[in-house]
Amino acid sequence: MLFPTLSFGLFFLIVFTVVWAANGSNEWRKILLLVASWVFYGAWDWRFVALLIGSALLNWGAAELIWYNREAPAGRRRAIMIVGVVGNLAILGFFKYYGFFVEQLGDILHAAGYARDLPLMQVVLPVGISFFTFQGMSYLADVHAERLAPAKLLDVTLLMSFFPHLVAGPIVRGSDLLPQFEESPRLTRDMASMGLVLIVWGLFKKAVVASELSTGLVDPVFFDPAAHSRLDLIAAAYGYAVQIYCDFSAYSDMAIGIAALLGYKFPLNFNQPYRAQSLQDFWRRWHISLSSWLRDYLYIGALGGSRKGFARQCANLMATMLLGGLWHGAKWTFVIWGGLHGGVLALERIWDRIRPQGFPRLPRVLGILITFHVVLVGWIFFRAESFDAAVAYLKGIATAGLASDVLTPLACVLILFGMAIHFTPANLGQRIALQVRLLPAWALGLLVGITVLIVDAMRFEGVAPFIYYQF
Amino acid sequence: MPQDTPSPIDLPEPELKESGLGWTFGVILIASLFLLCANAASLRDWIEDQPPSPAQQQAAEYADQWVDTTEAVGIGLPRKAMHDQWKRAEVARFPGSAHKEGAADSPE
Repeated sequence: MLFPTLSFGLFFLIVFTVVWAANGSNEWRKILLLVASWVFYGAWDWRFVALLIGSALLNWGAAELIWYNREAPAGRRRAIMIVGVVGNLAILGFFKYYGFFVEQLGDILHAAGYARDLPLMQVVLPVGISFFTFQGMSYLADVHAERLAPAKLLDVTLLMSFFPHLVAGPIVRGSDLLPQFEESPRLTRDMASMGLVLIVWGLFKKAVVASELSTGLVDPVFFDPAAHSRLDLIAAAYGYAVQIYCDFSAYSDMAIGIAALLGYKFPLNFNQPYRAQSLQDFWRRWHISLSSWLRDYLYIGALGGSRKGFARQCANLMATMLLGGLWHGAKWTFVIWGGLHGGVLALERIWDRIRPQGFPRLPRVLGILITFHVVLVGWIFFRAESFDAAVAYLKGIATAGLASDVLTPLACVLILFGMAIHFTPANLGQRIALQVRLLPAWALGLLVGITVLIVDAMRFEGVAPFIYYQF
Repeated sequence: MPQDTPSPIDLPEPELKESGLGWTFGVILIASLFLLCANAASLRDWIEDQPPSPAQQQAAEYADQWVDTTEAVGIGLPRKAMHDQWKRAEVARFPGSAHKEGAADSPE
């Protein structure tokens, strides 16, 4: 069930009505939201609802044990947390990385002269598994660090299953959402206005910009780079940069908007990432819920951040980004993407340290251009089917001709639009919401209806799944 | 929300005092009714995509009749006109483009 479909629209209308009708009892409200979330998840595959419940039970149980042992020696509490984290990683590892690691092991054994038939299995990847397992692990780490008290089973299960963020984030931490579950929420005009702005804006970015660029430009060129000219390859690379932003940020916007209409606040997940002046700045703007998760729980929490010297800090940055790359999927191209980001982040730190005093800083525009193009090269590896395909793509940019058979005026306009929205005022959506909250319901209803009608008239036939569903 | 994880839902001006629930119901109701009238074709297409059954066939018949009605009174036409315009934009090419003539889909 994809957000920008009529099926989801009808599902949401029912959930919205039933949940607010039950607002008198917060417990019943949460139970209804939980059932709705399972119906939403079960629309892909009912079997994985059991996995979701099992994962919630694991994290709830481990957190209860950590809390029960809070007077016990720190080592015991830590051991319980590690067992819980390993349980989450085992779930993630089996479903997401089993095939990849068995394949790599087979290659290593073969190279060493020990050819063996390893037990390969076709493991179906549950949608959103990377998101809910990360959520579970951060919950355990927060309870262990006493940043958060353990929550009731219902709340933990709803935290991990809540349908707006379930399949593609944002990774909403327990500390953000669990306190909101404690009382029946109140829907204010401000929340509803901003929620509606985000939903309509997300719908436009996904259904019009991302879908059009994907089907008309990016997919054909990345499918067979050798058959396309230099101009097509360059345009498709820029097109993919805009597509992945409009696709992923659209999901986040709609998730935040849908949650708001149900009375809950999710954190910001994107903040005009292509206006970043450095890669460090980029990661404060792109997939903020993942980058802050990796920073807090992996880079600082597990690896020690900058506490163990400068060389170790750079190594930690690289390790964090390599694992961040692997989080996206079991492919070497994701690891290389992560390595590129980790390497450049480390270089930025090194340059900051060795830069002579008085040496002029990079002009802002140049910083933005360089950062964007580093990110762009990373996206080629991220999108390519294999390392060889990515290298062939980059070679094609350097060698092929300038004739184009896929670049259209519409694609150019959409790419320019996708870039231009990064340079509008950062709080433009909020300013619009401040205006629309003053409108009477009939006027805003008509405005929303007309906007959705325009988007629907422009959208590509059918809706492709969001890119981040596969993660 | 905690300060280190701001939410875009927190607007930068003081909150309006009125409850938003009835207002939001009104907004969603009006938007839904508007789309039911002005975008009936999408509802018909969605019903046609559902697994076949007697109920689905019956619903598809009603949806067809509803589309005819909205087009007869003219309320469904703006969407169709915009969609046709968009399809023309999709197939437009730069002068001298290497794209083969006739390979593009024609507008509906």
